[in-house]
This record gives sequence, C-alpha cells and structure tokens, in this order.
Amino acid sequence: MSKGEIIAGFLAPHPPHLVFGENPAQNEPRSQGGWEQLRWAYERARANLDAMKPDVLLVHSPHWITQQGHHFLGVERLSGKSVDPIFPNIFRYKFELDVDVELAEACCDAAAEMGLTSKMMRNPNFRVDYGTITTLHMIRPQWDIPIVGISANNSPYFLSTEEGLEEMDTLGKATRKAIEATGRRAVLLASNTLCHYHFSKEPIPPEDMSQEHPENFAGYLWDMRMIELLRAGKIQEVFQLLPQFIDEAFAEVKSGAFTWMFAAMNYPELAGELHGYGTVIGTGNAVMEWNLIKAGLAQAA
Amino acid sequence: MSVVSAFLIPGSPLPYVQRDNPPWGAMAEAMEKAGRALAASQPDVIAIYSTQWLAVLDQLWQVRPNPSGLHVDENWHEYGELPFNMRTDTELAAAAIAATDSYGIRSKGVDYDSFPVDTGTIVASNFLDPEHKFKSVVTANNLYHDWAITENLGRVVREQAEQLGRKVAIVGVGGLSGSFFRQVIDIATDHIANVTEDDWNKRILAMMEQGDLAALAKACPDYAMQARVEMGFKHFAFILGGVGGNFVDATVHHYGPLYGTGGAVVEFRLA
Repeated sequence: MSKGEIIAGFLAPHPPHLVFGENPAQNEPRSQGGWEQLRWAYERARANLDAMKPDVLLVHSPHWITQQGHHFLGVERLSGKSVDPIFPNIFRYKFELDVDVELAEACCDAAAEMGLTSKMMRNPNFRVDYGTITTLHMIRPQWDIPIVGISANNSPYFLSTEEGLEEMDTLGKATRKAIEATGRRAVLLASNTLCHYHFSKEPIPPEDMSQEHPENFAGYLWDMRMIELLRAGKIQEVFQLLPQFIDEAFAEVKSGAFTWMFAAMNYPELAGELHGYGTVIGTGNAVMEWNLIKAGLAQAA
Repeated sequence: MSVVSAFLIPGSPLPYVQRDNPPWGAMAEAMEKAGRALAASQPDVIAIYSTQWLAVLDQLWQVRPNPSGLHVDENWHEYGELPFNMRTDTELAAAAIAATDSYGIRSKGVDYDSFPVDTGTIVASNFLDPEHKFKSVVTANNLYHDWAITENLGRVVREQAEQLGRKVAIVGVGGLSGSFFRQVIDIATDHIANVTEDDWNKRILAMMEQGDLAALAKACPDYAMQARVEMGFKHFAFILGGVGGNFVDATVHHYGPLYGTGGAVVEFRLA
C-alpha cells in the first residue's frame, strides 16, 4: 500500500440556509434562493475538489457534540432524515452516506494511541447532524465519495480554549497518521463559521436577503483580518491570534475543526484561496481552500 | 388550582439505558417513584422544559400532535435507542405560544416529522409517564434566555393552563453540578466528580427540602456558576415560574452521580 496523504483542506461552513437556498431534492422545504455569494463560493470549491479525485472526505462538525472523547462514525452506510433542531423550518434532509470505516477506525486508534479518549459510533440508527450533512452536501452534492465524520468533543468549552484546542491539535496529528497508514488520498473539511454573533429573530421569509448583513461590525472586522492573514499564508500568526479572535468575535472555530484541519496539514505557511465570504443570519462564513497538490506538498492523482 | 405537581429530574439517558448499573439504577427507581407521584396528582398534561432541547432563534414549542420515533443520543449511542411516543396538548401549546408575546418572548411552534426530540424530554416522558396516559406541552431551552425569561415560560404555562381549565404537572429536566468524567470510567464506581460541587448540590437540595425559597433565590446564581450547573440551572427557574414562585417543601427521591455530574429526582410539595 502506498503512503496516504492529505491533498487539501477546506474551511467549509455549515449554515443549513445554504442547502435551503439550493433546493436540492433531498431537502423538504423550498426556498426562493438566497445566500448566493456563499453558494457560488461552494460551486468554485466543488470544481477544485472534483479535479483532486480524493478517496475520502473527512469532516469535523461542531453540531455533533460529545463529552466523553472524540467520536467517529463507524457504520458503513447511514441513512435517514436529519431535521435541524434549531432551524427545522429550513432543513429536513434525507441523507444517505457511505463511511470509510477502515479509515475511521484508524483515526480512532491513532487518537487513542496519542492519549485522547476516542470512540467509534456503531449505532445504525444514529441521526447524522446537520453540520456534517450541510458541509458534505455543499462541497460534494453527488455524495459519491466515502466520508469520515468526526464529533466535536466539547473540551474547548469544558476546559480552557487553549487546552481544548490542544486536544484538537492532537486529533489532527492522529488523523494525519491514520491517513498516511491507510494509503488514502484525503480531503479535510473544517465545518466552521468565523464570527458567530447572530440575529435572534429570523426574517420572514428566511431567504429575504434584504435583511442579511453582519450582525456585529467588530466581528466582521475580525473576520476580514483573519481572512487576509489566511490569504497571505500567515498561518502561524493566525494561530497566535486565534484565542483572541474566538473571544472577541465569538468565533465558532473554538469548537475545534479549524485547528484539527491545520494540525493534520502540519500548519503549512500556505496562502489559502478564498472562494467567497458571506453572512448567514449575521454570522461570518468563508469558503477557503488550501490545495496541497498545487503547493507541491502532495501528489496529483 | 392549575398546577397539581412539580418535579425536577435529570435528563441523562444513563439511568434509562443502563439501569442495571447500581449508581444509575437507584436514579431509575427514583424516577419511577416520581412517575407514580405524578400520576397520583392526576394531571391532564405534563409541561416539560428540557435543557437539552436547544433553541437559538425564538422560543420553540412542540406542537406536533404525536411526536414519536427512535432517538440515539449523540454521546451515549453505544447504549442503544430511546423510543418515544408522546401526545401533545396542542391547544395548550398554541395558547402558550400566543401568550408569550405579552412577556416579550417571540415563540414558534414545531410540527415536523422526524424532528429530533431531545434525550432529556424522552427520558422524562418515558420514566414519568411510561404508559403514555397524559398529554404533554414541551418547550425548548433558548440559549440566550436568562433566568427571568425562563421563569416567565413556566408562568405562561401555568396561566394558560388555568385559562383552559387544565391540571398540569410541571417538570424541569436537567442536571445539577456539571463536571463530568472526560475519560471512560468503570461505571460501577461512578461518583460526583468534584467534591466542592457535591457539597453545593447537597446544600441546594437541603434548601429545597426545607422549602427555603429565600435562601434558594440568594444561592442559585452562585451555585449555577461555582458548581457548573447545567445551563445555569434554568430548569429550576421554569419550575419556579410554573409553581408561582412558591412551594412548601420538597422530597429528594434520590441524589447521585451521572458520569461525574450531579443529578437529583425532586418532588415539590405545593402550597
């Protein structure tokens, strides 16, 4: 078996509004569109992902919250209807997905070997969370690439932000080790919003874009500052600022996906490609790509 | 009197899915005891506020006539499924939704197939009403609502039940102290993870037993913070609103650990 590698990482936020705006057959509610800047950003990301021909997509979602360790989907085929408990009016999605259980088990084992509590999720009736589904749908609506779903252990909230993110760093390194050992060509998806200040009331209809704008100006400025650094490839500086960004912009990256992804990629000082930025009920969302093949850090298919 | 009984119970699924573990079995027995007390109070409807039903926009209320299905807990999936089969008092829920406006709370009904009813609500429903005799009114924990707003939710239920002539059992579903074991433990040895939090839990439960409302009002904010109480102990605020801010005393049917956190089954004697 050839050595596996991570070929790209995407910052791939999961507001269910994006699926709602697309009106795919799997989602029951219908919309008149909305959030086009972000949906078109995902279209550009999809085209690049398609060219990479990955074996597997790994997604870390803040809406599968676990307390005892880091959990991994461990059932070969999962299906059902996932209704968003927060936005049930816009997200009621019939999902069917294939899990790369071998890689998930390797990730789980590697995490345990590196000192983390880790667990496989083996229950076939498990309802996959809307964060995982939205990110996967938006980046690959064909659903033809196996996935590995990873929970967000709540350590950044239960412990300090720094302690929690240290765990996510370890989880990322364990993920990399498992990918290399199993020979997979893997793409990582960090399912995170940036500034997470949001409105407390929903417009009627929800897709009324005349109501959409950043909820918080300071948070917006933080988003722009972080995106500029990411576009410039100043990853070390981003991670130095991360705790302050989380604190001041209430950033969802606190939940760990962003740190997990960069740790797995070994924190490359590589310019990210911004596919687009937009707000969803006031939160800041960027679709960004770090293509390790283009950077010469991974092999083309 | 519209409110005929009131209970505080934990929302952890562990006593329900693994009752043969002694620390959790005792909690399960206490929940069943509370269920018998609830039935004896002869309510028309059980009003449930569960910390685990999280809302962000608006105050959500279950209005589906018969929420039913199988739920798998996102953390405790290895213990199997939680079946649920509930009947909603849609008239009371609609009245509550309409009435929250006057308290400055925007509410919304939830009526969707496959809506993920939360673990706490299911545990409460299955333990307290195992034969599904009673209708229910279930409302969410909006993360941005504070103690006072949550107390008003309980108040709205009580007032609307009164208007409609319903007898209601008020149930706050949530934990006590919040420190949990992050690693896998031998579940037979489960205990409260933090000694200080254990002391806090016992002090608060003693105040409930004594019906010392003034002491509770003073202590709850510190307790919520220092014992890392689940969701700021807002489930108790809902109960207080539901019982009109008053109860005579309480019976603690059981207090014990749930993977390090504290949980108690408390029955309040109403004035």
